[in-house]
Amino acid sequence: MSRPNFFHHLHPPTIPAKQARWRYTLGAGGIAVFLVLVLAVTGALEMFYYVPTPDEAALSIQTISYHVPLGGLVRNIHFWAAQFLMIVMTVHLIRVVFTGAYRLPRRFNYLLGLALFVVAVLLNFTGYVLRWDQGVQWALVVGTNLIKTIPGIGDTLYQIVAGGAQPGPPTLTRFYAWHVFGLGLVIVILMGWHAFRVRRDGGIAVPPPLERADSDRITRYELVRREVLAMLLTSAALVMMAVIAPAPIAPPITDLNASGSDTGAPWFFLWVQHLLNWGDPFVWGVLVPLAVLLVLALIPFVLPKPAESELGRWFPKSNRLARYLLAVVALFILVLTLLAVVPQ
Amino acid sequence: MNETTHRSIAAVSALLLLALVVVWAIESQRAQPVGLTPTLTGEVEYCQTCHVGLPEISPSHPVDAFGCVVCHGGERLALEADLAHSTMRGGSNPSDLSVVEQSCGGSECHSGSAADANDHIQRVMTSIQATYAGAIANIRYTFGAQADLVAHQGIFAVMDDQITTTTGVPALEAFDPASDANPYIHQFGDNCLGCHLSAEPPEGEAFARLTGCAACHTPDINRFPEGQIHQLTTAIPYTQCNTCHNRGNYDLRSMEFVERTDEPLDRLHDYYQPIAQFTQCEWTLDCIDCHTPEEAMGNGDIHSNQHEVVYTQCQTCHGTLDELPLTQTIVSEDDLALRLAFLNPVTELNVGDTILITEQGEPLWNTRVLPDGTYEMVGKATGEVFSFRPVMGTQCEQDVTEQRSYYCHECHAVER
Repeated sequence: MSRPNFFHHLHPPTIPAKQARWRYTLGAGGIAVFLVLVLAVTGALEMFYYVPTPDEAALSIQTISYHVPLGGLVRNIHFWAAQFLMIVMTVHLIRVVFTGAYRLPRRFNYLLGLALFVVAVLLNFTGYVLRWDQGVQWALVVGTNLIKTIPGIGDTLYQIVAGGAQPGPPTLTRFYAWHVFGLGLVIVILMGWHAFRVRRDGGIAVPPPLERADSDRITRYELVRREVLAMLLTSAALVMMAVIAPAPIAPPITDLNASGSDTGAPWFFLWVQHLLNWGDPFVWGVLVPLAVLLVLALIPFVLPKPAESELGRWFPKSNRLARYLLAVVALFILVLTLLAVVPQ
Repeated sequence: MNETTHRSIAAVSALLLLALVVVWAIESQRAQPVGLTPTLTGEVEYCQTCHVGLPEISPSHPVDAFGCVVCHGGERLALEADLAHSTMRGGSNPSDLSVVEQSCGGSECHSGSAADANDHIQRVMTSIQATYAGAIANIRYTFGAQADLVAHQGIFAVMDDQITTTTGVPALEAFDPASDANPYIHQFGDNCLGCHLSAEPPEGEAFARLTGCAACHTPDINRFPEGQIHQLTTAIPYTQCNTCHNRGNYDLRSMEFVERTDEPLDRLHDYYQPIAQFTQCEWTLDCIDCHTPEEAMGNGDIHSNQHEVVYTQCQTCHGTLDELPLTQTIVSEDDLALRLAFLNPVTELNVGDTILITEQGEPLWNTRVLPDGTYEMVGKATGEVFSFRPVMGTQCEQDVTEQRSYYCHECHAVER
């Protein structure tokens, strides 16, 4: 066997075979890392053409989409990688909860994972707004206005986010800076920390050595091969989606104050958009989403601990309550999303 | 295990390769973008990638100078029809009055000064053909909705801050037949608002026209293939006027439009509907040979009735027993007559030529005073040359104080 190269060295020489079973991990965490890399590369390419000014932003995206060689492909892949990331992170979260993997010592890494999820959502939203076209106008105005509803600090926070009393040129500058640099840096740091904690906590959750039924181990070579396979599969899916369904595009925003835009929030915020119909925007648009996040964060702290011996497989009996709770939260979000999509 | 992974990697690599080949195939199938950077905007636009072979709209709007976007709007960079067309003004017709100011306006274009006669949009927006104020005032007066025959309402609200005629009205409100209690006015709204410049024409080939400026300046749309209507001209044949005029009559009892039922086969019978009286020149010429831009497009004031704007009579060209028609010798290169003749070059007009002018001073640029004291007129739409004489010195017995055209018709009407 050849000497391990740099990429092999990023992995332990051998790991329990169970830690790398597709049907256990679904490969979700690894695919998420790959998607972030794809986003970084395609995003960097887009930066060569994207112009972050209100007058030019949407036009520069048209230039990327239609006139830059392979620009449309790069943009579509960037778009689909971002959407896949939302899905893959959700799958990863469900896997971790449904297998009880968040249990000590991985409780802190679970929180890091949630933080990564929040940062990814913010990256997705800021990226969405960078289009600065009529398709994102509603989300930009309503989304940022939600900040104003926070008692006490709302107006100040809004000033910080939007760079003025209403969306304008500084808003785009700030969203661009956050998207490319601020949040980009945060997600890289959190990702590194999250991966480090996976190693520090003993790899992917499996029962302690003495309680393992299966003592098979795989080498780093096999692990890297599986990662390559996952990356190839993801790449093929990205290219196919990029070809089948190009990223949305719309005419430039002409008047930010114009209402009557029939488009709404990005799909992962449709549930919040529907909640806003229910009353006070602070309660339904800010508190409820934060409460959902809090409920998720509290799972490892307040619910019964999954048994160590039951780790490494789906649906352990000892964490039934956590599964039910997550299922209820997921159903809640799913139903609201459907309600937002179905014409009233 | 290793074997499986290897085989999977090979299979998925093949899949990815296939996907990339598909991308390459799609990219290579795509039409090469065709860019144009019009000199007026300096911004590249790619409309001609798809819109190939469209005739230039008019010699005065050369595509190299104007491009497409300055008039039509739209997304100049987009190569997908949906996005490219999403922000077009007035759909396929940027001259619709709802968007005409953005499309055709601007002080350098058709919202210029009245002094230069470049205030086309202001004139059209206040004109009776756009406001339909005369018909509305008459109907509202007849059915008791207003106390006088002065225009108070129009198809859209419009104001005029510079009244230059004695009959000008300062402003019109938007006419809303639904808000009126009288059922006849409702019916008028439903059945009788098909002939103003913002109205979609009634069904039928005889009514086929566009809206806005193109209602008149894009004549005979039936001759264009689908999606290829692209012409603006000042050579407007009578057939275009006839898409609204002479199509029938309104029946005030049933409050509906009754289409004329004759089926004219030649120009003589086509020109006016059967009850009309007219002379030979009225059907051999085109409407615009005698009727002036101010009559058709308005004179800048809001009027209450067609009769306040239409003033050309037989005597405009023929004079009376006592007086010759008014004439003017062109002295300047910038003369309006020369500019109008340039737009529709059916005749070569030069500085030093003497032409007839109307009582209101509008140049009849397609006429010429000949050395022998007779006149010549070139058909604006046909290019046909007609000679005619003044009344002075003829056997005409008409009282010089009674010169409305219908007096002339007493002797000169054509039998058909």
